[in-house]
Amino acid sequence: MNVLLLMKIGWRNLWRNPRGTLLTALALGLGLTLLLVSLGLLDGSHEQMVRNGVRFASGHVVIQARGYQDTGSLELLLPAGVVSSTDGFLHSEALKPVVRGVSPRLLASGLLSSAANADGVRIMGVIPQAERAVSLIPQRIVEGNYLRDDQASGVIIGADLARKLAVKIGGKVVLMTQAVPQSDTEATDEAGGEMQSTLLRVSGIFRTGIQAIDAHVIQLPLPETQALLGVPDRVTQIAVLLDREGDSLMVTRSLRKQLMGVPVEILPWRESMPTMARMFLLDEAFNYVMNGVVLAMVGLGILNTILMRVLERRYEFGLCSALGLRPVQLAVMIIGESLALTAISLVLGLVLGLSLQYYFATAGLDLRWFFHSSLPTTLVFDPIIYSRLSLTRIASSVVIVFMMAIFISFYPAFKAARTELPGALKVF
Amino acid sequence: MRWQKGGVAICLGLIWLGWGQLSQAADEPQAREIVDRVARLYISQSSIATVEMQITKENWHRKILMQFWSLGESNILVRVRSPQEDAGAAILKVGNQTWCYLPKANRTVRMPASMMLTPWMGSDFTLNDLVKQSRLTDDYDIAISSEGQRDGVAVSEYTLTPKPEAAVVWDKIILQVRQADRMPVWQRYYDEDGKLVRELTFSEYKTASGRLIPTRLVMQSMDKDGKTVVEQTIITYENIVFDGPISEETFSRRNLKP
Amino acid sequence: MSGQLLRLAWRNLWRNPRRTLIAMAAIGLGYAMLLFVACLMAGLRHQMIETGTGLLLSDVEVQTQGYYPERPIDQTLGGPNGTDVSALVAVIAADPRVQAASPRVYGYGLVSATHQSVGVQLLGVVPDQEQRVTALQTQMVKGSYLTGRMPKGVVMGDKLAVTIGVEVGSEIVLLTTAADGSMGNDRYTVVGMFHTGLDAMDQGLVLMSLATVQDLLRLPPAGIHEVGIKLHDDGITAATATAAALEAQLSKTLPVQVHAWPELAPDLAGYVQFNRRITFILFFIFFLLAVMGIVNTMLMAIIERTHEFGMLMAVGMRPVQVVGLIVAEAASLAGASLVLGAALGAPLLWYLQVHGLNLGGDRGAVSLAGVVVGPLWYGRQDFTADAQAALGLAVVALVSALYPALRAARFRPTEALRKV
Repeated sequence: MNVLLLMKIGWRNLWRNPRGTLLTALALGLGLTLLLVSLGLLDGSHEQMVRNGVRFASGHVVIQARGYQDTGSLELLLPAGVVSSTDGFLHSEALKPVVRGVSPRLLASGLLSSAANADGVRIMGVIPQAERAVSLIPQRIVEGNYLRDDQASGVIIGADLARKLAVKIGGKVVLMTQAVPQSDTEATDEAGGEMQSTLLRVSGIFRTGIQAIDAHVIQLPLPETQALLGVPDRVTQIAVLLDREGDSLMVTRSLRKQLMGVPVEILPWRESMPTMARMFLLDEAFNYVMNGVVLAMVGLGILNTILMRVLERRYEFGLCSALGLRPVQLAVMIIGESLALTAISLVLGLVLGLSLQYYFATAGLDLRWFFHSSLPTTLVFDPIIYSRLSLTRIASSVVIVFMMAIFISFYPAFKAARTELPGALKVF
Repeated sequence: MRWQKGGVAICLGLIWLGWGQLSQAADEPQAREIVDRVARLYISQSSIATVEMQITKENWHRKILMQFWSLGESNILVRVRSPQEDAGAAILKVGNQTWCYLPKANRTVRMPASMMLTPWMGSDFTLNDLVKQSRLTDDYDIAISSEGQRDGVAVSEYTLTPKPEAAVVWDKIILQVRQADRMPVWQRYYDEDGKLVRELTFSEYKTASGRLIPTRLVMQSMDKDGKTVVEQTIITYENIVFDGPISEETFSRRNLKP
Repeated sequence: MSGQLLRLAWRNLWRNPRRTLIAMAAIGLGYAMLLFVACLMAGLRHQMIETGTGLLLSDVEVQTQGYYPERPIDQTLGGPNGTDVSALVAVIAADPRVQAASPRVYGYGLVSATHQSVGVQLLGVVPDQEQRVTALQTQMVKGSYLTGRMPKGVVMGDKLAVTIGVEVGSEIVLLTTAADGSMGNDRYTVVGMFHTGLDAMDQGLVLMSLATVQDLLRLPPAGIHEVGIKLHDDGITAATATAAALEAQLSKTLPVQVHAWPELAPDLAGYVQFNRRITFILFFIFFLLAVMGIVNTMLMAIIERTHEFGMLMAVGMRPVQVVGLIVAEAASLAGASLVLGAALGAPLLWYLQVHGLNLGGDRGAVSLAGVVVGPLWYGRQDFTADAQAALGLAVVALVSALYPALRAARFRPTEALRKV
């Protein structure tokens, strides 16, 4: 008998017991579904973790003056013109789908005083619209409002700082800064610039939960900060937030090419935030291992299912043998069945899996749902995970499950093919 | 450095009061002139002063004796005479640069400009206040708010309201001045809620180099309810010479070490 | 009767050894995998915390009331007169949950050398005690950590060293406002530099010996600000509860506030919570996968034996007994499988916890200034999770046997016998 005929028989074998077949297909399909869902959640949660972390700092990729990473010297500013040239580049057709936000910032330190008290602060001069797309601070406003795009003057301070200075929304604070010396020499002459004082009104108060930020970070409109420090049109860094963490290196490389020759350093987040990178490394490793475990479990399930199917039909196979089917032909028939079964399962699994995945990708999985617990700490991060599944992942999952099913079915197929006749035909 | 209450705020207030200049803005000319006179009490081409500072805090109390030299607006030298552990410490400011001599370490170190704005030795004054370094600001509108008697002396009160863009933290400052000799009696600082936050009291008026000046200044902080707290700083000018001769040599790094 | 039933059930299982073994393998392996996953997850959580707290922050900090978060210099434990430091540390260290304790003094000052002067945080520790609580000594890149031999030696971040222009062996001057308001100042020698990758530390921290800082700040030997505590490994996730207990206990003799790392580093706590929730969801998914295997096995096994059950009923077994028999079989199968799974899993778990999973190679080599961070991932025993998984699987096995069992019992013997 030729192979095609055997396959057709295999197919029809399946439908002799529709309920059993469907049940088995469902079982196998669910395996694929669960694989897809868990991969999506794992990828999505890892992505979320990284995003949360970089949004409190300088984004997935940061552009800053050469030497800034090593020294942190606030005198090191980006050469003029870098902002405009990179802005165009990052919003170009090529990079637009990959980039979620670009925020140029001027960083400085100073003294913020109120009638009651004073404290050292870390100043961030920002463009509100841009900063909103990159940082989490604008989303953590607890009183008042974030800086408006058309606002010429104002300041956002952290809740801990507001408490220490005893100021309210609209309250007066005075910011004292030293103008940035613009020398080209490496000389660390402590000449400094003149001290400038500015009156500011508190526009909004934020709370991130991180004490270092809530007690010391303030944000002002960029033009106002530049005027204060005497550096019009200059910034310290450009923070870039991407849609996917995986694009960090690619964007870094493109930017390096674009800015070749300019004395800047362009760093992906792993280099600008090495401790965070170390912590996330563990998470990535975790993902890898979990992927493997899920696959193994799915494989086990498939093995079990197929073995069961084959074992329970010894009588039938014995009959086939007795009727003249050669062992190889029997094996092919069984493999044909498995193929068909797997195909059906994959379809079922994909449909179910992709719909669930779609739901989680858009509506997200709100972790708070599971755990209205006992947590003493305020949740610093966004508790909603968006599932993320790339086409490659989906394709590779389907392929892997398919291959697993096929290979797994070889053993029982050949085992069945060698069914011993008289024994198999026994009714019991 | 840890911030004490309103050290810098004080600095700004004092900048206005003692060591700034007022503009010729359009408010009552007489009032402005009087307040202006008070503001210029301690300003001169040069000065040499010996000052005692008493600091009272919740857990401790200290008395510090210092000597000040100033020439023009940008040369200042401060030397600590007592107590023992700080004796010999000195700060020199020339132009934009500031150095500090540390007695125990026996070394001279550079100070960042912000050091001038930190409370000096834990007091309610900053070095900026004490060395009369200031920037020109014309921050307030002035109006006379009342006249009356205090202990048999005729006094006037002036209310100073900050101009809209002025970089000051106060909502209002009230200054009481003796009508006869235009000497300040007290100065009260109010925040935007109308609460009294600090009070500076002047007394012991003496003549030095032909000027009449208060030689005892007491800075008192109030707590959230407006009651006085333990923390206060008292500055006493033991003697002060205005416009005497001072050589530029005084303001050299060599001169920093005792 | 039930004894007989069980023996019958057990023998039934082995009448078809191949099928039974396959089912056992499926369930057993499924369980072993769950054990593996639980172990890894617990290990991950733990290591995340270690990474976050190990360097400077300790697991738990004991301070006087009102000290945190402003850290005023004059607020020492025990008030202005201080407290018996060694006694306090000993009392804390004696607690079974505590692995090590270390006294500390904090200050702020200006550090100065040839270039600029920079504001820094000062931290005074007793080197051998501190090294048992935190791991900054592992991040040294130049020179050496604090030793007892050089009382005026200091250790600072490498970025700070560059900013002020010093090398190992250079002299620095520290200036601060002492606790009594005087100008604390003195000269010190740089003996080592560290690199942690954390700006706040590499740019802003100067470490010295406890006695030296007390000298500088004019604090008495009895004046310390904090006792840093390292808890035993398995206590880290329960740090908050331990902190509360310690506070209650110590408050009897000394006004204290005790904070645990979730409060001191809420962002780290955020990550851990995040991770915990994800792993819970994943565990649930894995459980579902295991469950599917079991259900499938059970269903198949029973449906295929309709003929057999028909026979039994034909020779007089009552339907209730048939159901009982099936359930007993399922129970025995489940039990045997779990035992097998545990046996298979045990060596794997042992390996994970003792040797760890070496994720080196392409993933691994993250090097921070020459210090390679080897992601050796150690597992941790999570007995609760193990027990829960076992229980869950057993229940599922029983329940999934029930449906077809009930169906089988309702067959009329003649119908059942006809099935071939």
